[in-house]
Amino acid sequence: MVINKREKDSVVIFDIEGEIKRSDITDVTLHQLVKDQLESGKKHILLNFEKVEFIDSFGVGEILASYISTHNLGGKLKLARISKKLFLIFQVTMLTKVLDIVEDEETALQGFFKD
Amino acid sequence: MAKSRVSSLLSRVVDIKPGEERIALLLFSYFFLITAPFTIIKAVRDASYLDGPGIDKLPYAYATALIVGIFVSLHTTLQVRVSRQRLITLSLIFFILTAGLFYGILFKGWTWLAIIYYMWANVFGVVVMTQFWMVMNDIFNPREAKRLIGFFGSGGILGGIAAGIVTALIAKKGEEHELFILVIALLIACIFVVRAIFAWQRNVTGIASPGGKKPPPMGREMERAGFKVSYDTVRKDSYLRLLAAAIILTVIVSTFIDWQYKSVVDQNQWAKARLTSFFGLFQAGLLVFSLLIQILLTSKLVKRFGILLALMVFPGVLFLGTVGIAIWANLLLGILIKGSDKSFSYSINQSARELLYIPVAPEKKYKAKAFIDMFVNRFSKTTGAVILFVVFLLVPNDFKARIRAISLVSVCFLIAWIFLNLKVSKAYVSTVKGKLEKEWERGDRIVDRAMDVETAKLVFDTLGSKDRSSNLYAMHLYDLLRKDKLTPEIKKLVGYESDEIRTASLGVLMEAEESPWTVHPDEELPADVLEKEIGEIMELESYQRLMKDFADRIVTEKGSDAETSKMELAKAISLMDSRSPLAASLDDLIKDDSPAVSRYAMEAAAKFKEREYVPLLILKLADPRTQEDAESALKKYGPRIVGMLGDYLEDPVEPLAVRKEVTAVLAGIGTPDVPEFLLRALAGNPEDLQSDLIDALDKIRSRQPDLAVPAEAVRMLIVKEVVHYTHAKDPSAVLNIFKLLGLVYSHEDIFRAYQNIQVGTKDSVAYALELLDYTLEKEMRDLVFPVLEDFTTAKKSS
Repeated sequence: MVINKREKDSVVIFDIEGEIKRSDITDVTLHQLVKDQLESGKKHILLNFEKVEFIDSFGVGEILASYISTHNLGGKLKLARISKKLFLIFQVTMLTKVLDIVEDEETALQGFFKD
Repeated sequence: MAKSRVSSLLSRVVDIKPGEERIALLLFSYFFLITAPFTIIKAVRDASYLDGPGIDKLPYAYATALIVGIFVSLHTTLQVRVSRQRLITLSLIFFILTAGLFYGILFKGWTWLAIIYYMWANVFGVVVMTQFWMVMNDIFNPREAKRLIGFFGSGGILGGIAAGIVTALIAKKGEEHELFILVIALLIACIFVVRAIFAWQRNVTGIASPGGKKPPPMGREMERAGFKVSYDTVRKDSYLRLLAAAIILTVIVSTFIDWQYKSVVDQNQWAKARLTSFFGLFQAGLLVFSLLIQILLTSKLVKRFGILLALMVFPGVLFLGTVGIAIWANLLLGILIKGSDKSFSYSINQSARELLYIPVAPEKKYKAKAFIDMFVNRFSKTTGAVILFVVFLLVPNDFKARIRAISLVSVCFLIAWIFLNLKVSKAYVSTVKGKLEKEWERGDRIVDRAMDVETAKLVFDTLGSKDRSSNLYAMHLYDLLRKDKLTPEIKKLVGYESDEIRTASLGVLMEAEESPWTVHPDEELPADVLEKEIGEIMELESYQRLMKDFADRIVTEKGSDAETSKMELAKAISLMDSRSPLAASLDDLIKDDSPAVSRYAMEAAAKFKEREYVPLLILKLADPRTQEDAESALKKYGPRIVGMLGDYLEDPVEPLAVRKEVTAVLAGIGTPDVPEFLLRALAGNPEDLQSDLIDALDKIRSRQPDLAVPAEAVRMLIVKEVVHYTHAKDPSAVLNIFKLLGLVYSHEDIFRAYQNIQVGTKDSVAYALELLDYTLEKEMRDLVFPVLEDFTTAKKSS
């Protein structure tokens, strides 16, 4: 898994590539990267799933932990460009009840400021 | 330079912030310029009535209050049709003109005119005072008002003192009518001051006139606040009803006291010979006393002890005075009781009462205030008059007997008043709380409430295992089935096909035995049958022996195939009983380098809940790849391992990452004994762990609001955070302070206050601080408020 960070209009965007699974993480987890941004004062986090092929339960845990950390500081976390298959899984597992999932990056960016 | 000199001069007397000097002085002047003429008008009113109709007819004067109320309700109607500035200016012009009229005719000796004048004087007093407090409420929020209310009030008191002395001097010369020229002059000056106040308002807020809106076109937008609307506003709101009830009792008791006071004045030869002068001097002396209370006591009393004590002082003092005058009905007691009534009324009670209005929504406030201040006041005065008439009927026309009877009735009303103030005080806090929106909830609570995380993870694992291992896939399906989670939706999602089960059945693991499963398409697999059959197979000695050999071989192997097999083995063990000989392989599987293998093994350990696995699970907390799974497994152990986890937490030799995760596990377990371990760890000054420990306590308390936490230990921690903030200005210290406060005070209230301070508007911050002011004990307030005020100022300027 490779995670690249960029910023746009004070929103931190993590572009995730590959598979989010426990056997694939390197030095730093996704949650840790999100926490680092929160600690530096950022409140708007967007996870870009365009190039995510697979998530295991570890990946689910990372996403939820990132959501909880962001939320507890009054911030907002959104997920964008999730594949149809993955979205279906999110629906069945009720992750859509908790996570703010949007179609694309533009919608997410607009949504942050509208909120 | 001049500006800062004014500011520094003012700041010696009152807590005034830069930028507030001009408006503070304007409001001070405004209050001075309405109180001064009112003092003069009142002195003439009382003197002319006692000289004319006389003391026995005084209740009739009180009863005219209701008629006054009718005129004053006209003001209420005009209030929403006309802009504030125009209304005030027109009112002042009306009073100027009518004062001119009385200048010409009042002293012609017409007895009936004394009653007309009495009513006019009361209308004047109510209207100008109400208008002043409306402007005050428009400009300031509760915290600003509380801080400055003593200063503004002093303006009124000074106006009264000056006017009282001048009245005494002029009346002494027998030139009472000249007093009306002074009244007219003061009111003209007031018009200019009012203009300046609204000009300031426009400059600062850009709003056309205080109250926030230009008057709406007739019949559109805003509802007209006529008498009925104002009455309904009060009737439908329990808080406003309480305020109205308190005012009713205040005014009735005040009516009794006024009659007692004027009775003793009427009885005293010296005072009777120089009534206007006496009343003028009395006003001046009274207001000196009021000024001292206002400057030295009011703001400090309200800020330090809160609204409740401020409300209790007034009826308490009157209680003593009422008893006193019943025993010694002389001029001195009369002066004392009347003096107490008015001085506390003008100062502490008025200030506290106006503060009680501040949390009321603006659209209700103006409707309600006009109704309460103008109609309720008048109605209460009339009620007081009626009660006096009843007493006069029942008690012989003897001065002392009537004084005592009125005192007895007063005592009953005062007791009711005190109880009512207690209710008002509680309702005030609820109303302030109601202004504070809950901005957000803890994320972990939202997740727990909205979804089944364990099942979600199992579904993901099922999907993930499909391509990797059909055995694992089958075991996951079986697990879902056993947990009654294999819903049609999930079945469809995970793409369950019976062929896959047939070819990759559990029989692969059994080797020697044929799989009993030949699942046909569309055939239902009843969970209880499956569980029983699989359970029996797993208990077979032959099965266990075979699987043990397999396990012993597999656990030491490396490579992708071995990893898959170990995952399957670990998963299979999780489906067995903890006494199974295969469970002995669990140690090695937990310790395995592969996070996927150790994850399934940890799941099995969590199911068995054997203490021997706990150290291995804790070791896995250090690895980010297995951290969450280990945390989840440990949480499932529940309270039986709290002590063990506490030992790891307090051990400084343990890696910080492990201690942080142990903290999270303890927070997840959250039994009543957990806070003790967390507080003990905090007492050991663990710098990098401080915030995690405090967050864990906060998490537990948020789920269990009744959980008791030792207050003294928490106080010491708050002190540390305050010191840290003072040196480092670290915002996280403020968050920690709130989390710690939430351990000993209402978590909900503290949480709301924090959120409103973090993200709220100017008013939300003010209401939040107001709520904390009321909620926290004095010692805690003194400790944290400097930090909060510094923090909110820093936020404002950032």
